[in-house]
Amino acid sequence: MDLLTQIAGSVFSLGSVAAMLGASLLGVLIGALPGLNPVMAIALLLPLTYSMEPLIALGMVAGIYNGSMYGGAIPAILMRIPGTPAAIATTFDGFPMTQRGEAARALKIACWSSAIGGTASALALMTMGPLLARATLHFGPAEYFWIAMFGMASIGVLVGDDALKGLMAAVLGLLLGTVGLDNLSGIPRFTFGEPWLLGGLDLVVILVGLYALPPVIALAEQADLKGLSAAALKLGRARLGWAEIKGLIPTWLRSSFIGIGVGILPGAGGNIAAFLSYSAAKSASNDPDSFGKGNPQGVAAAECGNNADNAASMIPALALGIPGNVVAALVLGALLIHGLQPGPQLFHQNPALVGGFMAQMLVTSLLILLVGGAAATRVFAQVQRLPGVLMVPMILVLMAVGVYVINGRVVDLWLMFAAGLAGYVLEKLAFPLAPVVLGLILGPMAEQSVRRALLISRGEATELLTRPISAVIAVATLGLILWPILRAWQRRRQGATTI
Amino acid sequence: MKTLTLGAAALLLGATTAQAEYPERPIEITVPAPAGGGTDTSARMLATLLEGELGASIAILNAAGGGGSVGVTQFMQARNDGYSLLATWNSPITTVPQMQPTAYAPDSFVPVASTSQTAYTLCVAPGFPAETGEEFLAELAANPGRYTYGNDGIGGTMQLAAERIFQARGIETIAVPFGGAGETLQNFLGGHVDIYGGSISPVLPYAQSGEAKCLIVTSAAAVPALPQAAGLEELGLGDKETLLWRMVLAPAGTDQAIVDRLIAALETTVNSPEYTEFLAGVGEVPNVVTGPALGERLQGEFDALAEVAQSLGLAQ
Repeated sequence: MDLLTQIAGSVFSLGSVAAMLGASLLGVLIGALPGLNPVMAIALLLPLTYSMEPLIALGMVAGIYNGSMYGGAIPAILMRIPGTPAAIATTFDGFPMTQRGEAARALKIACWSSAIGGTASALALMTMGPLLARATLHFGPAEYFWIAMFGMASIGVLVGDDALKGLMAAVLGLLLGTVGLDNLSGIPRFTFGEPWLLGGLDLVVILVGLYALPPVIALAEQADLKGLSAAALKLGRARLGWAEIKGLIPTWLRSSFIGIGVGILPGAGGNIAAFLSYSAAKSASNDPDSFGKGNPQGVAAAECGNNADNAASMIPALALGIPGNVVAALVLGALLIHGLQPGPQLFHQNPALVGGFMAQMLVTSLLILLVGGAAATRVFAQVQRLPGVLMVPMILVLMAVGVYVINGRVVDLWLMFAAGLAGYVLEKLAFPLAPVVLGLILGPMAEQSVRRALLISRGEATELLTRPISAVIAVATLGLILWPILRAWQRRRQGATTI
Repeated sequence: MKTLTLGAAALLLGATTAQAEYPERPIEITVPAPAGGGTDTSARMLATLLEGELGASIAILNAAGGGGSVGVTQFMQARNDGYSLLATWNSPITTVPQMQPTAYAPDSFVPVASTSQTAYTLCVAPGFPAETGEEFLAELAANPGRYTYGNDGIGGTMQLAAERIFQARGIETIAVPFGGAGETLQNFLGGHVDIYGGSISPVLPYAQSGEAKCLIVTSAAAVPALPQAAGLEELGLGDKETLLWRMVLAPAGTDQAIVDRLIAALETTVNSPEYTEFLAGVGEVPNVVTGPALGERLQGEFDALAEVAQSLGLAQ
């Protein structure tokens, strides 16, 4: 009880509250601006706080991290431009809702979904952190291989109408994922002697180009000189009714669960969480064909999933000292600088600080409702009223700045524009882009894991299936592939009996 | 060491008048590793202390990829005016060029100062049939190809450090490269690989709690934090020492007066109580080698690792 009051006292101190509130606003802004991403913002800002109270620094991290995951949804819904890579899946149904004149409703659903996903994740971090962290240790290379295969199987749900084009897009993603130094043999692949290609194609650079540039070009094509009138924006008037909330609860539960699961496993990230949540919502729906055409469930699934990834991704870092992503690594770095030793004893070394940070992850998730609902949605959405002739160059500049800052390399700008043009052409040819992303992210994960697993099993392929967790995920993968076929067959049979 | 310090101090006295105005604008330090890693954290900590010492603000630029070679290659284009520095660990300079063609060599830079160092360690699960470094090597030698060890990258310094020991004793193990020490630790704790190979700091809490039994460190001397681990000297392998160490380098042609000013500032900050305390927390010790002596250290390590890379068939 003593500890709880101490944590509450430090989390709700003036400095901490100001840091959380300010950072949440900043996070929403960073998320909403295409190209700028939270990892970059945290890497730039955290060192400035080394001399401050640790909970001010950590409150800032929590606010930016949680705020930006929601912020990414704003341009995704309003303009089909994902503000962060994790908001890609939000564009699928968010933008069609905007086109139907339901932008306000979509934003409200995104806001609530983000807050709920983030809260669920923070609660998991606070209550089951060490337990979940120990569970992740059972996941070795063989299990990671099957997780990657499971993710890839969801391509089947995401391909759209033309399965062949979807597969071709997935193969393109897989091929792009092979570029760079092979981590297991040390041999460079498709690098053409260029040192900048040794590290592979930077995921964020490709995703920003591939997803954000085509809608910007589309905006330019409209040659819009006027912008929307305030009346056409129709913001702030949407209310979520109880019936609608009740309909979303199963999706929120499912997506929170998926997001937490993806979050605790090092290596995967918010974008995978959002994709898997989306495909799970679509598979579970009675009307899967309505997805991609403005189904609110799609927005809820993606936004809840990517926020549920956040706090959970801190679990292996805080409970084991193993950072699962760059933000977690930065947090550990900050704790080190404040004299704490990451590892299983971290919480006992300074429970007020570590517990305080966990509480901040919770508070900043709830702050999304305030910051996102009241302020951000109304303020940032006004950007949409700018005429295209102003908006297009502004977004392009922001994207270029954001991409350049990642590695400080001019060549990344060319890479972004190349990816953007490729995305534009692919869209015109009606190729779905989601499989490209999944191939690019999951391909290297699948390849490296299976090769490590085979090194460990001395080349015995059967060991990929004989371990209990691998076997379960393998069966689930098979199920995910067969599920749509089974349902289509079932529906056809039902159709036959009614006639 | 002491003479070096005195020499640098004497040089500094002569140099202060000539370069009184350096630094008069912000300094940019390239870190060829991602934000949040060991090299990045120690460079950022050093930068905050150096800012006070030099009276100029310092910006860190992370340029990760290619085992550090991407950032170092990028740094080759930096201007030699003293406002661009490189804070790196040894691997991108002495290990990576063995495997990949790089645009730089160990002598492509003006060596400023090394800052800190630590050994790598090899750890096993508590049930492993060995209690000492000697027993550990004997068990591995008696069972060729039976044990797997995780390392933090193919052809990385960690792998070469381990292979130098294994080759000297005719040991055959299966190397499983992971994406970094954190991933290796996760797979070791989960029992997916038999041996943890990596830096000391991530595994230290588990060695203390008894979940990991660390039996060898790759430094000649033993490491106090890991009392059960043997140093290479006591195993008769003292010449196989391979360390993880960090340094600050400047572009070729940087003015000697500026280099001397930096050496003096680094010597003060690295040995300051704040920095040594920080280093102790991550299992590192300060070790300042400056100027030409640092250049010799780089070249010597490069030559020793070239030999082992050659024999592993990893050399380009």
